[in-house]
Amino acid sequence: QRGCDVRATPETLREKVDRLDGANAPELTKKVQRLAVTGSPAGSAGSGTTDLNQRPVMLFMKGNKEGAKCGFSRQTLEILNNTGVDYDTFDILQDEEVRQGLKTYSNWPTYPQLYVKGELIGGLDIIKELMESGDLVSTLMGEERDQDATAHAQIS
Amino acid sequence: MAITADHIRDKLIKELGAVHVDVEDTSPNRCAASYKVLVVSSQFEGKQLLQRHRMVNTCLTEELKEIHAFEQKTLTPEQWEKQKSQ
Repeated sequence: QRGCDVRATPETLREKVDRLDGANAPELTKKVQRLAVTGSPAGSAGSGTTDLNQRPVMLFMKGNKEGAKCGFSRQTLEILNNTGVDYDTFDILQDEEVRQGLKTYSNWPTYPQLYVKGELIGGLDIIKELMESGDLVSTLMGEERDQDATAHAQIS
Repeated sequence: MAITADHIRDKLIKELGAVHVDVEDTSPNRCAASYKVLVVSSQFEGKQLLQRHRMVNTCLTEELKEIHAFEQKTLTPEQWEKQKSQ
């Protein structure tokens, strides 16, 4: 993938995450999962009128659409904007809990991270390769992807 | 552990059976230790992009803890040959 933010968590942060691994780990996992699927960390409190407000395409990045704070995040925005597909972003710089929790949840070390229907697609590298192979839009639309990358290469 | 381009290259060759590895130290372009790698391995055959990248991530788990930015490209030997001839 293409992404930054791999470095180790500083001590204070590690303590926070460790504490979360205790009593609150399930809560963090739920919050992160909900973010990946819906773009909103809140629990389904209340009437559920807006309900989950499904946001199929979620980009976890540094910054937001108005301004990316990292070269990789910026490139990702450009590519996604060019597809014309609707998507939401989450600024991981604003929430340290999510920033670290999501890396653990997805077992992916860097940002940006793109999710479609709650499933990790990958980082900038993968997004670029999908764009080059012509699979990006269908992936963003949640359609079945090529199961075999080599088969795709053979066909084309 | 001293992370160097050679260290990363050797690990990828050893653990992923890579037939070709390019490791570029892109630190001058970024604010901290950064690398860009090209890995060619037959172990990538039949695997989706995400799977391939995860294989590389797993191979470099310890190193990635120290690196700030990381870019990777994964190809099968066939894809690599094709790319070279373009």
